Amino acid sequence: MTGLYIVFRVADADYALAAAQVLQLESFNGATAVPGTLPHVSGIVQVRGRIVPVIDLRSLFGDAPVEATLDTRIIVVELNERTVALRVDSSREVLKLQAEQFQPTPTVVNERSRGFINAVAHAGNRLLMILNLEKVIGEEELHDDPDHILEHGRAGRRALPG
Amino acid sequence: MPAPHLAEFVSAYVAEAEEHLVVANTHLLAIEVALRAGEANLRGVREVFRSLHTVKGLSAMVGVEPIVVLAHRMEALLRSADRSQARLPLAAVDVLLRGVQAIESRVRAFRDGRSVELAPSALLREIDAFDPEGPSSLLPTELTLDLPPELTSKLGKAELDQLRQGLSGGKTAWCVSFEPSAEKAERGVTIKHVREALERLTDIVKVVPVSLQGSVSGAGLAFAIILLSSAGKGEIVAAVDAQLSVSEVASPPTPPTDDLPPAPAYETEQEFEGQQQGFVRVNVKRLDDSVERLSALIVNRFRMSRAIAKLTGLGVDTRELLQIQSEQGRQLRDLRAAVFRVRMVPTADLLERIPLLVRGLRRTVDRLVQVQIDAGTTEVDKAVAERLFPALVHLVRNAVDHAIESPEERARRGKPLEGLLKISCAARSDTWLELLIEDDGRGIDGAAVAKKAQREVPTSEAALLDLLCAPGLTTRDTATTTSGRGMGMEIVKRTVDQLGGDLSLRTELGVGSVFILRVPLSLSIVDGFSFECAEQRFVVPVSTIDEIIEVEEAALVRSPAASDRLTVSMLKRRGQVVPLLSLAGLLGLGRSSTDRKALVVRRGAEAIAFSVDRMLGQQEVVVRPLEDDLVRVRGVAGATDLGDGKPTLVLDLAGLGSALNRRELGLPQ
Repeated sequence: MTGLYIVFRVADADYALAAAQVLQLESFNGATAVPGTLPHVSGIVQVRGRIVPVIDLRSLFGDAPVEATLDTRIIVVELNERTVALRVDSSREVLKLQAEQFQPTPTVVNERSRGFINAVAHAGNRLLMILNLEKVIGEEELHDDPDHILEHGRAGRRALPG
Repeated sequence: MPAPHLAEFVSAYVAEAEEHLVVANTHLLAIEVALRAGEANLRGVREVFRSLHTVKGLSAMVGVEPIVVLAHRMEALLRSADRSQARLPLAAVDVLLRGVQAIESRVRAFRDGRSVELAPSALLREIDAFDPEGPSSLLPTELTLDLPPELTSKLGKAELDQLRQGLSGGKTAWCVSFEPSAEKAERGVTIKHVREALERLTDIVKVVPVSLQGSVSGAGLAFAIILLSSAGKGEIVAAVDAQLSVSEVASPPTPPTDDLPPAPAYETEQEFEGQQQGFVRVNVKRLDDSVERLSALIVNRFRMSRAIAKLTGLGVDTRELLQIQSEQGRQLRDLRAAVFRVRMVPTADLLERIPLLVRGLRRTVDRLVQVQIDAGTTEVDKAVAERLFPALVHLVRNAVDHAIESPEERARRGKPLEGLLKISCAARSDTWLELLIEDDGRGIDGAAVAKKAQREVPTSEAALLDLLCAPGLTTRDTATTTSGRGMGMEIVKRTVDQLGGDLSLRTELGVGSVFILRVPLSLSIVDGFSFECAEQRFVVPVSTIDEIIEVEEAALVRSPAASDRLTVSMLKRRGQVVPLLSLAGLLGLGRSSTDRKALVVRRGAEAIAFSVDRMLGQQEVVVRPLEDDLVRVRGVAGATDLGDGKPTLVLDLAGLGSALNRRELGLPQ
């Protein structure tokens, strides 16, 4: 657990992600919407020639949407060969956290936050919520809106021969 | 995963090993066929031997001991098969096939960084049981050196290991004796000189000083230099000094392959290079990299066109710039063609695994199937081949499991007991590959399928195919291990859709069926129309558009709306009624303001028109697929960069259309 963490804000709360999971931080200039995706998927952006989906953490966490500002950032993360960007309100700090600063998420919080939080960490007088990246980008059931023409690719990731 | 610097080496190993295993499988199957016909396939036996021998050598290089053991024991069995003129029991072929499978699974485990299981001892016993000459051990690791004991005793464990390795790597161990003298020193021949000269040609294992008795030179000291080299004695002497005495200490062990044709083993580097002459094995990732760079160039060209247009608008004389630009355009096209040629793989490679697949199926479903493959000389982009393969597997499975009847039934119908599965392909033009999967089975009974799906009986083969490709449909009451739950056709259809291709079916009851897959030979760069719809820009591949038409409000007939978001109108086009859909409405972008133009796509015999606001132009675009599940949706083929650094969606209108039709049919989506 000890290591560097990227600290960011979403709807006036502080979150952190292990720096090892983060590829880069970019300012946000809008995403190209992809019709028929989940509501919290803002669309796609191009990061250094790669096409990356953007998850709006505000929307995912159920907070009211806001216009992008100069502070708005996307945090490009990598997990199990997937590259995904997270839209956050701002991100300015990198902190070194020690194992003893961490504490498991209280059960009630855990239940209410749909497992998006792995743990909490004390940093001075602030409480940082450590994001459960797997849950945030990986575990979603891709929905099928019956009234929607666009249909999700439900087939799993392509299996290669051999 | 292995350490990063090893990763590339590992993937090269895996690629090569897999290739040889495929060859081994192919020939084992051929041997089996020959044996059934009472013939011997000596060439096949030797090919399998060579492949396994190579796999063994490669695996030893990366240190996957279980594979070395397996391959070695199988080799021994093949060697005795070769001695007996390829007359081996059928059961032995089966054991060998299982051996190849065991190796394959271990190669995969190694690739994925999982621990590699030991060679299964039961299987080893079975292999040995078929080998009349009994199990043979691996090359002896004992080392016998032709050296005086006083020298041998000077060699430590590390030096002995180095010698052992060098010898098994095909090098010879030599001992060079050098006696320094004043006369030699005058000529510049000192121990330093000798050492340096030898180092250029050989691996020096150890330099041992020896005291000489009764020496005339007075120094009473000589040096024994023990070294490893693939060079011969003459070369060594020539490299240093004619007065050197060189003696052989140990030569590489000769494997007992005397009566076999030389097997290509990577014993020395030269041999390795020689064998690979003219071919480079490249990781696809690197190719993708170069395509990526090329894409960046093409995007840059769009930007330059804009800049030039702006200059022209300001009244600057840009004729020369324009000329350079058009020349650059040609160069880029040539470069693109060259890069894409590199990515092409023979379709035969794609199909060569099919016979093995069928063989596996045959045992589980009790069918007699003969496989005929005609891949011709066509080539297809690696990315297309990889995506296509799973679809092919489904179609082959369906044919064996559902279409081809049991031998009894075939006998009753007066058909040959052995069913025929024919897979052939041909390039239809520079851009399309057509793949036919043909069986002489029972054919598809439209009425039965319709009953099962509780739908109306399809009136055409196209409608029947639509029904077959509906999600969750199965024509079997019970799911079998081989053909799942009838999800196959849906996946086939989706794969072909995603590739921007086309699937069709011909079937006749009691006679058989043919599935025809038409897919592009390569992906990525297409000629596209860009247009605007509800203030958003989109691109569609030119090849998917039948026609662009003007929409005249007055000529439209609005149909009763099923949902208020999506109204369907109709327009007349060359005497035919064509449904017109608002693309903005379809994509949930709100109602678009003008809807002046419409793009007509063809779906089977039917045309569908999508209204858009205005057309922007036509240009070559680089399509990048949206690979993440979060954004992989039907109707969107990928994204491209029109030069503004932002992704623009490339739409698959035919895919949108087919989703729509499905909904109209009331099928589950």
